[in-house]
Amino acid sequence: MIEVNNMLNNKFLINDLDVLKYHLTKCYSVVQIQKDVNGQELWTEQLGDKRPPLFGHDHLPLTSPKGFLFAEKEVLYKFDGETFETILPQVQPKVLFGVQACDLSAIAYQDKFFEHDPYYQKRREHILLVGIDCESPCASGFCVEVDAGPHVKDNTADLVLSRLSVDDTNDSSNWLMIAQTEKGVNSIKDMMLDKADNMHLKERRKMLEKVRSEFVDYSYIRNAIEYLNSNSVPAQLWEELSVRCLGCSGCTNLCPTCSCYSTYEVVDKKTVTPSSISNEVKLEVTQSETIRCWDSCLFEGFQKEASGHNPSQKAGQRVERFWFHKFSDEYLPEFHRYGCVGCGRCEQTCPGSIGVHSVMKRIDQQCCS
Amino acid sequence: MLQLTPQTIRIIDVYDDGTHARHFTFEPKSFVHDEAISIGQFFMLTLPGAGLAPFTYTSIPDKAGRFNALIRNVGHLTKQLFSLGKGDILGYNGPFGRGWPVELVNHKEVLIVAGGCGLAPVASAIDYLINNGSSNSVTLLYASFDIPSQVLKKERVRWSSSINLFETLEVGGESDHCGLPTQYLSQLCNEDDGYPDIVLTCGPEPMMMAVAKSCVGLGLKTSDIWMSIERRMRCGVGLCGHCYVANSYACKQGPTYRYDEFMALENKTVAFEKYQGLYQYC
Repeated sequence: MIEVNNMLNNKFLINDLDVLKYHLTKCYSVVQIQKDVNGQELWTEQLGDKRPPLFGHDHLPLTSPKGFLFAEKEVLYKFDGETFETILPQVQPKVLFGVQACDLSAIAYQDKFFEHDPYYQKRREHILLVGIDCESPCASGFCVEVDAGPHVKDNTADLVLSRLSVDDTNDSSNWLMIAQTEKGVNSIKDMMLDKADNMHLKERRKMLEKVRSEFVDYSYIRNAIEYLNSNSVPAQLWEELSVRCLGCSGCTNLCPTCSCYSTYEVVDKKTVTPSSISNEVKLEVTQSETIRCWDSCLFEGFQKEASGHNPSQKAGQRVERFWFHKFSDEYLPEFHRYGCVGCGRCEQTCPGSIGVHSVMKRIDQQCCS
Repeated sequence: MLQLTPQTIRIIDVYDDGTHARHFTFEPKSFVHDEAISIGQFFMLTLPGAGLAPFTYTSIPDKAGRFNALIRNVGHLTKQLFSLGKGDILGYNGPFGRGWPVELVNHKEVLIVAGGCGLAPVASAIDYLINNGSSNSVTLLYASFDIPSQVLKKERVRWSSSINLFETLEVGGESDHCGLPTQYLSQLCNEDDGYPDIVLTCGPEPMMMAVAKSCVGLGLKTSDIWMSIERRMRCGVGLCGHCYVANSYACKQGPTYRYDEFMALENKTVAFEKYQGLYQYC
């Protein structure tokens, strides 16, 4: 992203987000947090319906918008019997409207990880990120501990929305809008907007300080990160925790930074007579597609080789691996942040209750005693 | 941008080697390698309809781009591969990873310890050393489960006239050529006959670890031991995540690791009890 924080005239005031959204729909289709038929809050592409978006601290949805950039399943290339052909995604410009700071930090992390991935980047270049400052801590979130929120971090969104005040008389709000990138500036350049000034920026800072002060004490997370990095968590504790891991991949699917994938083939094949070289039945592939899909390092077979050798045979190793990838200092030189953005979704979803809070508390308790 | 889509190669020759392995000679179809391939690097093979997996070059590409791979029939992908023959088309991505430190090895006393199909990734290193006039200083200790599982017979016959070749079998070997490779290391690394300057090892991971540990016990430095690590892979370019070794990926920082570097990576996480029991030659 091109840094335009120092640009003049990139801070505005707006009191009707529908006006902004309507403006953006001229160039982008809208993706926002909505409730599905079961009441589950999910990142959803708005297709025709005009259901209102959900915003803010009460609505950190179960899913992150990860799938709109790193597709849960996508064709990489196809084989026509003679040659392989790259199938890049056909994408329309989308605006992710109202992304919280933690998820934006995760997108910045994945931008780095997938910097040279043509599939990710094809989607990414067509996406406009409209971030939103959180107004109070969410149930499982600890973004403050991992430098991911609660306010939108610099250069992680194209446009940042921050609510300055609520007007109860007509149920409207006054928003500060900061265009952080050239893309953001361009997306609103035809709008008639009032300029914001330093006073509004001060108001934002004040509000953020208030939100930061409302987070409960997460010292066990800080302590556990330290223990993890001094490699002082005993194998036995990982093994005890891993008894509760069902290998369901709920955490890795919902984690906004998890990026492991596998590939599989979809094939249109016909059986032909065995060739001279082998007695096996020869399957002649006339056409096939290679598809990649999200995978999970917590699956038993994630590293299992054809020979049967499995470098991470034990569930304890796999559980440790997951947390190593999220909190090891070893990744800091490359990503300049931890692999965890503090959204707490793993805690919400884990059927074995070994999400981030449970694990970090356990590490803190055991390693302290 | 990375290119995940394979280029096309054609099988131009195949022959069996041992009971479970087969040599494949591949020829690029309308592409040339745009970078030189280092000995010990690997490539990804895409078998349409079956999947993709990493394999090693038994010989690096010649002027026409042809190269060999010794492949063991061990999983569903290789089973499908063994049903193919001359003329069949496959997908190819590569070369990937870090190869053997051949620039360090030249004109030094080199001990190569290979187990089973682990001979394949060191074969081109042996040929390189022989072709560079270093054959007098090369010792190959080749360990296998039994005679049918030995590979690269033609090459071993050829090598035996120029390098010091010692073979051992876990089952069916004669008394002085039976058992695990670690039993013979003291014979090959000692004060009287001299220590090797460098050890290259490739085979089942527990074997490599045992070999490296024994070598260190005999007085070698951990930084003089190199190993080629096998991992499941789905990309070869550091994206799919499968081949992790702590915060490194075997497809990028490996598959060749220096023993001290590998141990430093392993020590970043907790030591679980592993490498127990007999190791299976691949």
